[in-house]
Amino acid sequence: MTQCTIDVDHIARVEGHGNVHVVVEGGQVKDVEMNIVEPIRLFESMVRGRSYRDVSYIASRVCGICSASHVVTDLKAIERIFGVELSQRTKMLRELLIYGSYLQNHGAHLFVFAAPDYLGETSIFPVSKSNPELFSQALDLKSLGNELCTMVGGRSIHPITAVIGGFTHEISSQEYLDLADKLESKVPFALETVDLFNGFDICDVASDNDYMALTQPGAYPVQASDTLTFVGSDESFDANDITDHISEYQVGHSAAFFARRTSTDRPYMTGALARINASWENLTPKAKVAAAKAGLRPPERNPLRNNVAQAVEIVDALERCAELCRELAEGDQKESLPRPFKVCAGSATGVTEAPRGTVAHQLVLDDKGVVQHASIITPTAQNLAAMESDIRKMATSLVAQGVTEDELVMDVEKMVRAYDPCLSCSVH
Amino acid sequence: MRNYCNNTSVNSVERACKPMPRVIVIGLASCFGCQLQITNRERYLTDVLGQIDLRYWRMTSSEPLPESYDVAVIEGAVTTQESVDLVKDVRAHAKAVITIGACANTAGIPGIAADNFDERVSQVYQDLPAAAGHVISPRSVPDVIDVDFQVLCCPIEFDRFVEVLGEALYESNRVKPTRTLCGDCKRNERTCLYNQGKICLGMVTSAGCGARCPSLGRECNGCAGISPDANLDSARSIVERYGLSVDEFDRKLEMFNQTNDVLHPQDENQEA
Repeated sequence: MTQCTIDVDHIARVEGHGNVHVVVEGGQVKDVEMNIVEPIRLFESMVRGRSYRDVSYIASRVCGICSASHVVTDLKAIERIFGVELSQRTKMLRELLIYGSYLQNHGAHLFVFAAPDYLGETSIFPVSKSNPELFSQALDLKSLGNELCTMVGGRSIHPITAVIGGFTHEISSQEYLDLADKLESKVPFALETVDLFNGFDICDVASDNDYMALTQPGAYPVQASDTLTFVGSDESFDANDITDHISEYQVGHSAAFFARRTSTDRPYMTGALARINASWENLTPKAKVAAAKAGLRPPERNPLRNNVAQAVEIVDALERCAELCRELAEGDQKESLPRPFKVCAGSATGVTEAPRGTVAHQLVLDDKGVVQHASIITPTAQNLAAMESDIRKMATSLVAQGVTEDELVMDVEKMVRAYDPCLSCSVH
Repeated sequence: MRNYCNNTSVNSVERACKPMPRVIVIGLASCFGCQLQITNRERYLTDVLGQIDLRYWRMTSSEPLPESYDVAVIEGAVTTQESVDLVKDVRAHAKAVITIGACANTAGIPGIAADNFDERVSQVYQDLPAAAGHVISPRSVPDVIDVDFQVLCCPIEFDRFVEVLGEALYESNRVKPTRTLCGDCKRNERTCLYNQGKICLGMVTSAGCGARCPSLGRECNGCAGISPDANLDSARSIVERYGLSVDEFDRKLEMFNQTNDVLHPQDENQEA
């Protein structure tokens, strides 16, 4: 095959609406476009003129599956402006909430979205008959993520209890202990999941792109840090300076913005693979062993290995959350009651690691706490340019190997899904 | 007649050989959270799917949109001309239309942008990309087409979805309750959040969630939409009695009801 135009309209098994367009001419890949057609909703404009009280509630609705991350990111920005110091307990609860969304997201992405590609199915539903054990265990894992989010946040998505300075509600000590047991009981299946995804045949692609993730010495941070790092050059900066380091830009073929690293003008990836490339050393013991066994070590440059990275993160999240639950069962619940604060004018950026990658919210408030300006930088908006460049690289190599058009379509879709794009987040 | 049990559908859970209602699920402008809520009760999902012939659900399967179906489930607000055309087409084909979630039912959070829409577009985009389609000021689905069944709230609750899906499949004509959330909260024996100085919208918001947010110490933000039984003036006088801001109450109500005419009585008079 030396000549073809691929148009995958409405890529299935991703969250949101997007198309991918690849043109091959004379054996060369001429064009690759991620065409994001998700309806625009204008969140940055919606929160303008509204009180700081409403912002995290509204921002949560950027995306169902990433809702916990958007809430915590927004709360962090507001707390930076007001100078609210959080208790250790509140930080632990936020960690649990975000990890709950990791289990939900990685469970749904790996099994409902990605696995059918490698199992030769169009959806996960036939797997309920062909491999009932896998189907049931996979759903249980995702279900545990929902349970964790519900226990901590009050429901499985769009958390209710997380507010400025603390939490409005907590579960009982016994419920924390029961959760810890459940989380630990899923570790064996999570380890099998790493093996399963590591066993799938994937294209050999070595990306030229950089990686960005939240970092903290000795930790694998998902929300506790305000420092971002470009892994390639080991360059770190505070979240408040994010727009000095990355630039968002518009392209005609996408309703989502694209992003590049400003100093190099190059695309970069955020997400599980970026986090593992940045903080491999700080994975939990079982997760680190699983990663090593799967040959997943930094620098891992194949974006298709993001699936394995997510599976490793499931092991990591289960171990970490079980420990957090046991600690929370011991402590004093009064510690998480929302702390008082004084409203003041200011600007700050909140940043967290959402399941799909780094998310940043910049807020400017006036002295009454009314939003003057807001900017939301989502994981997928940051990943789109990297996705296009990796698809181009992979397609170039596949065309040279003489694959059929159908095979090329399949591999392009696998690449898009491996990035775990959240298109509803990307256009917000 | 086509034999639906020889299914090529995405749902191949084994069933007795009788035609099952053909269902499609469509997502418009939304966070996809309500579709997720359907998948989020894993243990019951296959039981529910076992009773329908799921013909189209882009979030979970690569099967294309079929030409005919019985029940259409719509999530999301209508924010483009393309979506207006799509929901009209769906209405023409479906025997029953179910709207799920705040975005579809009240225009929800996307509806906030309906206030001064054109200016808002330029606040975010220098040039609106062609990929955004022909954008229009956000509308709820019932503002564009007749809707037969609704599942309210942001996000929906799985149990309510199953209940309403059952009603749609078996053509229930049960009268929908219109009471407000406040009474449900009282039955939960919770202390009123107004005593803590919090502006709660439970007095005017449709019931159905079991007063979940107030039960967890968070005020109601009105995601189920204003109830047909709501007495807004009376509610405002209560807000005042607690020494809280009526303006803030009204502002808060806009969050999920921006496109609801009851919040803009003057505009109505002008039109009349």
